[in-house]
Amino acid sequence: MSSVFFLTLRQLSGRWRLIIMTALGGMPVLIAVTMLQSSSAPSVQEFESYVLSAMLAGAILPLIVLAIATAAFANEIEDKTLANLTLAPIPRWQIVLPKLLASICIAAPFMVASAFGTSFVAFSGDWQAALAVTAAALVGVTLYSSAFTWLGLETTRAMGYGLLYIVLWEGFFARYIAGVRFFSIRYYSIGLMRGFDARRFVTTDDLSFLFAIVASIVVLVGFILLSIRRLRHMDVP
Amino acid sequence: MVTAVPREGTVFDIGYQRYTGVREGRNRARLSVVKDGVRTSLGLGRGAWAKVLPWLFIVVLVMIAFIWALVIGAAERMGGPGTAAEIGIPSHSDYYGVASIIIFVFAAVVAPELLCPDRRDGVISLYLVRPLTSLDYVFARWIAFFLVMVAVAWLPQFIMLIGLCMGDAAPVQYLRQHWLDIPRFLAAGVAMSAYTTTLGLLTAAFTTRRAYASVFLVGLFAITTPFTTGMAMEIGGTAGRWISMFNLSNIPVHVNDVIFGQPSSVTRAAPAAEFSAWVLVGWYLLWIIVPAGILSLRYRRLTP
Amino acid sequence: MTVNGAEPVITVDRVSRWFGSVVAVSDVTFDIAPGITGMLGPNGAGKTTLLRMMTGLADVSSGTVTVCGQPVRRNPPLYRRMGVMSEHETVYGFLKGRDFVKMMGRLRGVEDLDAAVDRAIGFVDLADASKRAMRTYSRGMRQRMRLAATLVHDPEILILDEPLNGADPRQRVHFQSLLEKLAAEGRTIVLSSHILEEVEQVADTVLLIVNGKLAASGDFRAIRVALDERPYHVLVVSDSPRELAAAVVKLDSVEAVNVDPDGRIVVLSRNVRDLQVELPRIAKAASISLRRVEPLDDSLESVFGYLVERQR
Repeated sequence: MSSVFFLTLRQLSGRWRLIIMTALGGMPVLIAVTMLQSSSAPSVQEFESYVLSAMLAGAILPLIVLAIATAAFANEIEDKTLANLTLAPIPRWQIVLPKLLASICIAAPFMVASAFGTSFVAFSGDWQAALAVTAAALVGVTLYSSAFTWLGLETTRAMGYGLLYIVLWEGFFARYIAGVRFFSIRYYSIGLMRGFDARRFVTTDDLSFLFAIVASIVVLVGFILLSIRRLRHMDVP
Repeated sequence: MVTAVPREGTVFDIGYQRYTGVREGRNRARLSVVKDGVRTSLGLGRGAWAKVLPWLFIVVLVMIAFIWALVIGAAERMGGPGTAAEIGIPSHSDYYGVASIIIFVFAAVVAPELLCPDRRDGVISLYLVRPLTSLDYVFARWIAFFLVMVAVAWLPQFIMLIGLCMGDAAPVQYLRQHWLDIPRFLAAGVAMSAYTTTLGLLTAAFTTRRAYASVFLVGLFAITTPFTTGMAMEIGGTAGRWISMFNLSNIPVHVNDVIFGQPSSVTRAAPAAEFSAWVLVGWYLLWIIVPAGILSLRYRRLTP
Repeated sequence: MTVNGAEPVITVDRVSRWFGSVVAVSDVTFDIAPGITGMLGPNGAGKTTLLRMMTGLADVSSGTVTVCGQPVRRNPPLYRRMGVMSEHETVYGFLKGRDFVKMMGRLRGVEDLDAAVDRAIGFVDLADASKRAMRTYSRGMRQRMRLAATLVHDPEILILDEPLNGADPRQRVHFQSLLEKLAAEGRTIVLSSHILEEVEQVADTVLLIVNGKLAASGDFRAIRVALDERPYHVLVVSDSPRELAAAVVKLDSVEAVNVDPDGRIVVLSRNVRDLQVELPRIAKAASISLRRVEPLDDSLESVFGYLVERQR
């Protein structure tokens, strides 16, 4: 398993990719610092709405994870090197899990650092709030990674469908149809954040902390099982 | 002295014939690349799965316009003429602002299909050994995608117009009163299309993997919006307005506002909307001309 | 059922594969025993599809493929006994050759990994280049390193799809002797190639695939004998071609005689054994000197060519 893990780490950690992730991860921190410098400190709702929900959870985090996690298998399929792994006498889960873990290990440090830095600055050193946001970001990275790893196995147009999900489903429809939030990784992460620090983040809809936990587990386990099944049944190029 | 033995060779007639038809030149080659680009963008001439993504986006955009028209029609019927405008239901002038992110994602997903596979698979060489320069090639691809984007931009607006006309008690009267909306949304659609085409193809020109081009372009649009909005609000003043100008998803929407003569629901609160029409249009043109120039330079260096 | 006296290692039983309305492989049945089996066919014949089904990379639409008595599809433990080299030449460019072979060995649970890697890289004569990243390799070097990765775990079954693409003549000769050595150790080797001379030289058995069907299998000379509807072509060069031709054409075993402007005779016969006996007798009786007698289609190429044409 370690061979697959380290191979995937090498495959996914190109220089430009790391530079772009650093720059993107720094943007919310920059906004938080700027917000703090302004004469009127933002309310929790404003900060949550603009920076955490719209920018970090709504754009930066899912897009970065989409680029990384879909590439874990999609690039191997495109380059026709996946057979090197599938022709090994190892169970398929020993290919899927290291790939997923490697995707998480690449994306998580940047997103976690960004989430922690942003919220620590914006909430003036409130550790509990910062850790709540960080934990939620880590869960978000994990859930998106599991979903997009499966998507990269399932279709050669993983990026297109992933963008449809992020921009259309979570970004557009969720704004107008409240029920969409119950089928949205982004809102599970936000629900977890509110649950981790209920004194700071108030839950304003029916997406409770318990629901967010259960849904997160279902999503993670579900997509891992789907990925393993897909790898067992697909024709490997 | 050794004399060379004369070698013999024989050509057998296996039915080979020279082409004696008309040899069409460079324009025909350009047109072929344009046609191929249009077909590639819409998944035509390929399997069913190649059509799903682009047409899904088109259906979503049309549905938005259709539902919009229904809602406006219902509001007008229930509250009388002018109700929709009174309660602030958006119309033609707001469509591109609201649908812009979907149009951008469409461009991000489809534009790389026109450039990335040709470079990745080495097929570009086959184009360049024809009577076609690299600039011909990239320009033809630009035209192809521009035509597709124009169709994608205009179709929902026409659907909305038809819906609004038919939803009105006096359709002809409605058309007479609102006929100016037609050239406006056509022009705004062209502006939106030129912008998304240029940026979409520029991103695709820098990588051979479609996925990276797509996510980079969407990231540009999706991330600059909240980032510039937040920064502009905090900093304020002229600096804030200029920061707001870097909200890439709003650049063509500001041009839409200039054409319609009023800010849309999306750009109303944007600090950049306070700039004059000349500044907004000039900024838009800069974001077309400079990326187009970079795109041309990028492809100019290609040789077969 | 045994194949040439040996128990089959790979059994392909009534296997078909279709993609929508396109039938790539149609009802193919054969067994493969230890030794070298060459798989031949024109482009698009279905060889690669068949090999992918034999290695479990692709599913069958109907029929079964078993390796060592077990289904090959969705049976990862079987890969411990198999070494597969697919037709695709892409490698992990960022990896050094040695690291690539080592990784393949580790994935296949090789003990004493370093020794196995050294041996595998030694087989392909790339010890010096193995310390460089594979993106710097030529096409032939990439193929050889891929072959080393296929051999690192010392598999008893080798399935190689176009393994010699990009190899120079010296490497081809080296590869042939390597294959013969491996086969002599009792391994089962299936080799797909377009290069008929090489398959002819190394393969004990040949599988000819044309238009998705198995056109012929076995020793290619035996296949030739079985093609009784096509007469043998025998070239005869003598000092009196016309006189010899007039005498030979009267034989019952001869169907036709062609004399070319250079005076060379091509005899078409369905019974080469009789011709072998009669030809020298006729020449002696007529005091004609025979300078050269050569069968023109005693080669895999002519058998292949004929079978491909017949299937079209």
